[in-house]
Amino acid sequence: MFNLKTITFDQIKTSSIALEFDELIPDEIYSWTEADFAKYQVPIGNSRFPITDFFDITVVGEANGPDDVEMILNGDLNRVKYIGCKMSGGKILCNSSVDLHVGAEMSGGSILVKGDAAAHAGREMSGGYLEIEGNTKEFTGASYIGEWRGMTGGEIVVGGNAGKQCGECLTGGKIHVKGNCDILAGIHMTKGIIEIDGDVNRWPGGQMKNGNIIIHGFLGRLLEGFVLDGIVVDPEVDGITFEGKYIKYTGDIGLNGKGNLYLGAEANKEKLAEYGELDDEYTSIREYRNL
Amino acid sequence: MMEYILKNGIVYDPANEVNGEKMDVMFKDGIIVDDVSADAEVLDVTDKIVMPAGIDPHAHVAGPKLVVGRLYRPEDSRRGVTQKTKVLRSESGFSIPSCPATGYRYSRLGYGTVVEAAMPPLEAKHTHEEIATIPMIDIPAMPLFGNNWFVMEYAKDNNIEDIAAFVSAWLKISKGYGIKIVNPCGSEAWGWGMNVHGVNDKAPYFDVTSKEVVIALAKANEMLNLPHSIHIHPNDLGHPGNYTTTLETMDAVKDVKKGSKAAEIRDQVMHVCHLQFHAYTGNSWKDAGSAAPELADYINKNKHVTCDVGQVTLDETTTMTADAPMEYDLFKLSGLKWTNKDIECETAAGIIPCIYSGKNPVNTLQWAIGLELFLGIENPWQVCLTTDHPNAGPYTRYPRIISWLMSNQRRMEMMENGEVHKWAQRRTTLPTLDREYDFYEIATISRAAPARIYGFTDRGALTPGYRADIAVYDINPNEIDPSRQAAEIEKGFNVAEYTIKDGQILVKDKEIVKVKESQNIWVNVKGWEQNEQKVINNIMPFFTQYYSVKWENYPVHDHYVSNPIRIDVDGK
Repeated sequence: MFNLKTITFDQIKTSSIALEFDELIPDEIYSWTEADFAKYQVPIGNSRFPITDFFDITVVGEANGPDDVEMILNGDLNRVKYIGCKMSGGKILCNSSVDLHVGAEMSGGSILVKGDAAAHAGREMSGGYLEIEGNTKEFTGASYIGEWRGMTGGEIVVGGNAGKQCGECLTGGKIHVKGNCDILAGIHMTKGIIEIDGDVNRWPGGQMKNGNIIIHGFLGRLLEGFVLDGIVVDPEVDGITFEGKYIKYTGDIGLNGKGNLYLGAEANKEKLAEYGELDDEYTSIREYRNL
Repeated sequence: MMEYILKNGIVYDPANEVNGEKMDVMFKDGIIVDDVSADAEVLDVTDKIVMPAGIDPHAHVAGPKLVVGRLYRPEDSRRGVTQKTKVLRSESGFSIPSCPATGYRYSRLGYGTVVEAAMPPLEAKHTHEEIATIPMIDIPAMPLFGNNWFVMEYAKDNNIEDIAAFVSAWLKISKGYGIKIVNPCGSEAWGWGMNVHGVNDKAPYFDVTSKEVVIALAKANEMLNLPHSIHIHPNDLGHPGNYTTTLETMDAVKDVKKGSKAAEIRDQVMHVCHLQFHAYTGNSWKDAGSAAPELADYINKNKHVTCDVGQVTLDETTTMTADAPMEYDLFKLSGLKWTNKDIECETAAGIIPCIYSGKNPVNTLQWAIGLELFLGIENPWQVCLTTDHPNAGPYTRYPRIISWLMSNQRRMEMMENGEVHKWAQRRTTLPTLDREYDFYEIATISRAAPARIYGFTDRGALTPGYRADIAVYDINPNEIDPSRQAAEIEKGFNVAEYTIKDGQILVKDKEIVKVKESQNIWVNVKGWEQNEQKVINNIMPFFTQYYSVKWENYPVHDHYVSNPIRIDVDGK
């Protein structure tokens, strides 16, 4: 996308209490001038302070809408949260690690984080593209606490590792974790794809009703509610082909789930006594009953 | 001396048979008067609707269910968030608003009194603490008796005197207003993983039927001359085919005679709440249909029953009720999260989120049945406007319901343009009902009727000597055509121009300008003190053995109820 307007935030001061950037999204500020920013007060805790106390802001170019805007955030953003929250267009580049809720509820546009992200990255996003080059903490692409509808569309790419409950309540879209993933990835998911290149600690897909989880690396512990479906080669999932040999499970049968869990066969050799059979430790409920 | 004149408003005051007359309403020191001095402040409300402040006869606004609901539905609390102002605290929540938001939003709607419809006596302290944190409105609370172990024992023996003494004592203990019955015997059965189906099922281990409990409590209610009748949530809520149970429940008390003193105000001996949920035909949701015509016909022919509707608003909301087995059934249907709580020896409650969608045939059926009841019950004094907040939708949707009631065109639009499922046309009589409420009838179902049904003698009318609880709406009845301007009707009732509570102007120019402390209204029965003590003495060993709290910690002490309104009743 060709950006007509670049808004650069150069940090001059940090805050121990997080700045909340949910009002500073391309949708809201595409027409702002430097003078407008000079008047703006950013929420911090239960108060507001001039944004210019914390950032030098430079505006270059013109924009007719949010899609014409690129925001560039420079400095230490570890105490800046809600970056890109609810944005529907435009681009945001964060040149450091960021705080909570980056890209939460975004419906369009793109965000690139050149660092780590705290919890709730991409929470409930419905569209757009969020890339985090480093690691993410808990609830990447998940639902809000208590909510049963998580991410519904768009794509999240995590270059490093993802924390607990990545993709919780996923109801659409795709999450790609290039590193390892902590427990309960895809818990309660009903749709969408979670692809994990690295290893998974344990219990992916707990209570999943539908959707697909692809784990290329080693899985520590599979939940009891997953039933061995067989060995598949080059499976196609939602139009995407994953090359190689996978052990395929379906579950979570505790909820009559019809989700699919693909485990890279190479990385999970010890689970294969021979094709189609599992070690006792990983015997599913149904197989156990059939013994 | 604070004196005011509301000048040139168009007044709807059904209790005084004032129907759209242009007149002044005067009040002084918090009381409606028929004359004020020349110093009175004039509030120009020319050609705007003036009504008594609204009275919600059945809502769930305070108590443990609300708190659990907020705790386990944080996703609801993030809706409707506002920042604090110089006058207001911040608000949050949609179907389960925070306590301040509950009061503010009712006040914006022009309401002054809201009945908390279910208070377990064991949790009464908590309920009153919460009432104290809800501003702007007066809140009577209805203690639950329908699954109380002592009540069931007395009912089994047909011991009406002891039930009356027990109720009299428990109203004092819980600072309650009247007798609430929820799924009699069914919530107790839930403690054993069961339910009762129909009025002739017995509670396990108690050898007493739902019908016996209801009749006994109705007789006790009238023996005590309570201002309100028994207030019942019948068995089988939400089950296809439940209308026969509802009819049997209503018919069970047909021969119960009203208390001599209560009869002066109210007509009924039973108030059935959220009737819409009890008006289904069929054997399952596949063949379910509307029994609204049958129930409306019964109410039209019988003066001893009043009802409120529990109108579905087609929103995402939270259901919460002391009908725990029904909530479990709902959970099995929806698969959404569920919470359950047993209140020892008294009742059991459940809570689940619920999404009422116009695309869903069952939800549409429920929506249509509610409207059928409103339109089919001929006497507006026998039906009240409720959503059983938050069960069928939040009370903030009352203006929308009013717009549906006043506009056949809007109802037909919804059915014809696909806003609601075709079941509304195929399985209900709604398309054939072209009745449209007028402002007088709206004032009746939302003010005058609830006041009469509850036996209030100080509110619900613009009678001199009554509390100055008044609402003014920016709607000119001479210029608007509600039938064709449903959206304007909804907008007009959404925020009152003025809300006046006890003579204090809380809302002015559609903005809250003042916050007032709420007051609990409770009934103090006189003349039964000796009987009460006898009953308490009799049950004390059982109480000590089975309750997890000490008797000394059970009653609601005065400091839990700041600034109450006590209604003294001569019970003999």
